[in-house]
Amino acid sequence: MIEFEQASVTYPGGVQALKNLTLQIPAGQMMVIVGLSGAGKSTLIRAVNGLVPLTDGDVTVDGVSVRHARPKQLREIRSRIGMIFQTFNLVRRTTVLNNVLMGRLHDAGTLRSMLAMYKHEDVEIAMQALERVGIVEKAYVRASNLSGGQQQRVGIARALAQQPKIILADEPVASLDPPTSHVVMRDLQRINRELKMTTIINLHFLDLAKVYGERIIGMRNGELVYDGTGAQADEHVFRDIYGRSLTADDMLGAPAPAG
Amino acid sequence: MTAATASRGVRPSRPRRSLMGPIALLVFLAITWWAASDEFGIDFDVPRLLTNLTRGASILAEFLPPAWDFLPRTFGPMIQTIQMAVIAAAIGCGTALPVAFLASRVSTPNRFVFLVDRGVLSVVRALPDILYALVFVAALGVGPLPGILALILFNIAVVAKLLSETVDGVDPGPIEAARAAGSGKAQTVRWAIFPQVLPNYVAYSLYAFELNIRASAVIGIVGAGGIGNLINAERRFFNYDNLTVILIEIFVLVFVVEMISIFLRRRLV
Repeated sequence: MIEFEQASVTYPGGVQALKNLTLQIPAGQMMVIVGLSGAGKSTLIRAVNGLVPLTDGDVTVDGVSVRHARPKQLREIRSRIGMIFQTFNLVRRTTVLNNVLMGRLHDAGTLRSMLAMYKHEDVEIAMQALERVGIVEKAYVRASNLSGGQQQRVGIARALAQQPKIILADEPVASLDPPTSHVVMRDLQRINRELKMTTIINLHFLDLAKVYGERIIGMRNGELVYDGTGAQADEHVFRDIYGRSLTADDMLGAPAPAG
Repeated sequence: MTAATASRGVRPSRPRRSLMGPIALLVFLAITWWAASDEFGIDFDVPRLLTNLTRGASILAEFLPPAWDFLPRTFGPMIQTIQMAVIAAAIGCGTALPVAFLASRVSTPNRFVFLVDRGVLSVVRALPDILYALVFVAALGVGPLPGILALILFNIAVVAKLLSETVDGVDPGPIEAARAAGSGKAQTVRWAIFPQVLPNYVAYSLYAFELNIRASAVIGIVGAGGIGNLINAERRFFNYDNLTVILIEIFVLVFVVEMISIFLRRRLV
């Protein structure tokens, strides 16, 4: 369970990215956040693992305050939260396996990880994560030699290797083409259902949000302006969230493949 | 004309030209004149230099032809020079790696360590290698050891500076990913930053090795071992034709080392 209690974030420049947000995300839910760029979606996601510190209020993950966590405690919280990024954030010069093993660092011990002497179990967990996203044959390939869709799957495998309870995905398909977007979204959906991981995803394509969002919340100017199911969210709702009429750019366009 | 442009916004008037450029140029010329004048400076007189140039010809003639039978006697010191360069590069560049990570805002554990490390590096960099060689020869006596120590300091200063600046510019994405995964500071450096800067690190280390070959010729002159010692001895006895042999040898060695290092660097990228 993730709980926001009157959480606010004001950046040093004075921009208020999150205003007094109160929100509960029960364990196992697949929640999609929609909103224009600058609405506070990224800030909300990064507040969960403390990458962006709150300036007021609190966020708790399974009852533990993120804002008041000591550094060691914060690392422990983060180790239980996997994160997926728009631009993948892989180390492109090294192998796929080394990238996925970054998800085991929290457990590896400093000296062992410095010398790249990972425990056999850690390598096994990393390999299984690669198998789950169907890319294990690329384990010893350099990350830079993979296509965008493959790189994002490595990103997902890195998050899975943490064996987390929560997955955060910040615009995971914004750098991918429409068919690949659906593949990646379905990977995330399958992981959510099979492994029962709470999943929070930022999306700006409304049709994707409707298809994959068990629950959708809308953000505008740092405030929560909609909270409902994907089925309830029609064009009127999205127009309200965006504060303008919708255009073709707001849709991915490609229908979800059958199956 | 004014009515037509009115609706498309107002064109700004041209800003006044800054006087900083011409003033800076004048100051620069004044300083140069001061340095070269015979009243305040070193009396740098180009016409006199040209008329006296031919006087050195007789001395220059003593450099030729090279005394090739001297060549075998240079091999020992030459090998010592290479050995000094290798040892100093290995220790210096190895030490520079952690020092560089502590000296970059991106990878330093805290502000205090960052400032101390930066400060020490600036101090080390302030003195040229030959002065370190002088100090170490005074403290430890003549021989290759003080030379190696001087080169080590010099290598740490050069490689740590270049590498810390490279670390400043790495892609922050993987660092964010590592932090989000609960990785510690040192682990983040090892797995999110180090792979990104590894090719640069190898290139800087090869460059440091090249500089060592060159520098060890100079520091040997103050007694710090290697080919420089021999240069100093032959120079003192005016054996200029022997010196020519050494000069050609250093030229060839530096050229070969540079070729190898260019070849290795190209394979790395």
